[in-house]
Amino acid sequence: MAADTAPAAPAVGQLVPLRTKDEVRASLETHTAYVVEIPARFANAVKDAIQDAAPDFKAAEISHLRRVVQFKYLPAHLQKQFYPPARLQRGICSNGDDEPSPASLFTPLPPSDDESCAKAEDTVRFFLLCPTRCFKPADLVAILRKNPPFSVMNIQAKLLYVTVPALAPTSAEQATQWSEQYWPIAYKNTNPYGPHPSLVARNTVEIEPESSSWLALASTAAAEISQLGIGEKVGCVVIDRTRGTSEVIAVAGDCRWRSPHGDAEAHTGPGNVMAHCVQRAIAMVAKKRLRMAGTNPTLLDRSLFCDVPLTEAEKAPYDKDNIPASGYLCVDLDIYLTHEPCVMCSMAILHSRFKRCIFSKRMPLTGGMTADTAGNPLNPGKGLQHGIFWRPSELNWKFLAWECPGAADSDASIADTVHV
Amino acid sequence: MASQLPRERLPEQDGNMGTMVGSPAGAAPDLVTQPHHRFEHSEPQPCQAPGADHDADDMDPEERAYHERFMREAINMAELALKSDETPVGCVFVRNGEVFGRGMNETNRTLNGTRHAEFVALAGILSKHPISDLKETDLYVTVEPCVMCASMLRQYGIRAVYFGCWNERFGGTGGVLNIHSDPSVDRPYPVTGGIFREEAIMLLRKFYVQENEKAPEPKQKKTRELKTEILPMDIHAPKSTPTPPVGASTATA
Repeated sequence: MAADTAPAAPAVGQLVPLRTKDEVRASLETHTAYVVEIPARFANAVKDAIQDAAPDFKAAEISHLRRVVQFKYLPAHLQKQFYPPARLQRGICSNGDDEPSPASLFTPLPPSDDESCAKAEDTVRFFLLCPTRCFKPADLVAILRKNPPFSVMNIQAKLLYVTVPALAPTSAEQATQWSEQYWPIAYKNTNPYGPHPSLVARNTVEIEPESSSWLALASTAAAEISQLGIGEKVGCVVIDRTRGTSEVIAVAGDCRWRSPHGDAEAHTGPGNVMAHCVQRAIAMVAKKRLRMAGTNPTLLDRSLFCDVPLTEAEKAPYDKDNIPASGYLCVDLDIYLTHEPCVMCSMAILHSRFKRCIFSKRMPLTGGMTADTAGNPLNPGKGLQHGIFWRPSELNWKFLAWECPGAADSDASIADTVHV
Repeated sequence: MASQLPRERLPEQDGNMGTMVGSPAGAAPDLVTQPHHRFEHSEPQPCQAPGADHDADDMDPEERAYHERFMREAINMAELALKSDETPVGCVFVRNGEVFGRGMNETNRTLNGTRHAEFVALAGILSKHPISDLKETDLYVTVEPCVMCASMLRQYGIRAVYFGCWNERFGGTGGVLNIHSDPSVDRPYPVTGGIFREEAIMLLRKFYVQENEKAPEPKQKKTRELKTEILPMDIHAPKSTPTPPVGASTATA
């Protein structure tokens, strides 16, 4: 039933936009629909008959599917399955104002090279009626029988069945693929299930040239902290690109193995979950804003939050007054991480209103950003499928997210079971 | 939405509760027909805690009194937050039948949207006690933990969570997602909602009729009225979430 195919492995350092939870769903869900052959000029009559008989059925549900399709535009497998197409009897098409002898309309004729016949063939259309859940087959046949063209022809409608994507495509490429795989698709150049492809493309172009350097800086932060023995080898960097050039606002490594007194603890259990690098970076951004506003940033300080810079990589950006005091949380800021953040940190990024999130390595057993189950080499086919970055109908913020496999130095030191 | 602090627009504080302000269009009718926070899972959930997702209304009086005692302490913390111009959410952690730590939301004063009551309380507790103590510790919080806190609590190994009202904006234990029981590498924990629910809602409503100076582009709040009527339970029941309404109007980002 899967409508999508696995994408080719991206080049190292290439940004790959994450798919949203709804996009994943849209690419996977299909259902069965009824199709019937009718003369083209009866399409509206049949459409109205279906609508009258099933007032609950919203045509918008299938607006991504072409309703009336010529035989030659059907995907290859359907052309094979539905061959030969019904056709108008010869002579009817040449003087179409005649009222045709109804029974002859749907007489399948042997294929012919005759041009007039080919034209006649085109006037018969495959009409997509509705998803099969709307009617039982016998009921649908009975409805059709009462309406033109069947009511005037005195023949029974022959129901055909096709598998169609349940939801609209999210890109032109997907629409083309589905048109070949399922049924001709009407793509409206929109993405109802995620950010518009052009928005994603524009943002990718903007950040791609420097994303590798920020991911490398995140790796440096990770390495420095892990050398101190106070954290896992994961890190993140907060960037402000709103003023044309990039400003490093905060750099933070993980501090889960740092005791309340500042020394390294035994690496057992979850460690200090609140000292994950994302939590530390967000706290540093907040403290910089407090400082810029003339408020003592150590107000309400607690050692467990580990929100003071501890390494060379962390100190310089923290000390630089390069953030407006008036800013709100992390609005308009970007965050780069060596690894996919855990569910807690994914939601912390959402709470903080970040603009964009870029991480290097997927964490299929603990990560909160990805919505699909692509997994990684150690855990293929795995993923928690939360897709926290883009669930606008449920959560109160959304942002763009990319993965950048292989960019950060995310070696095997971080097991997939670790919460980043 | 951009003008709101993270914990600012919680589900049950909106003025016109009868129409479920802020919920996706069409969500309300589903809510009233659903039994509250009983989740249907299409697949077996390997980490599903047996007996997770309780309602305080199902408790016997003695059990209820025990939990209400601690929820009262959490409400006191929320009231303190309200006096401090913070979103009125408060919590206490309880171990061996005694309050083990307290916290209240501090997002406004710290300019940090992650300083939820649970974080604040745990920062105090874990400066004196080992993390392993949390395995015998329960949380009482006036508003359902958000997705972030729900995940944090699970990573720490919390024993159980009791809360007042649901959080339809970003609740992580049934209000929006089910982070306490979804598949994870961590042990799931049981949750019980609805303890002093009305009081928790009223605290939030009181807060939202006040001005919030920290939020940019402030909304017209002076015209807001404090409503005192609390509608029946059904309307505050959490959404059943695995499948989001497709094509629902999206929040502005």
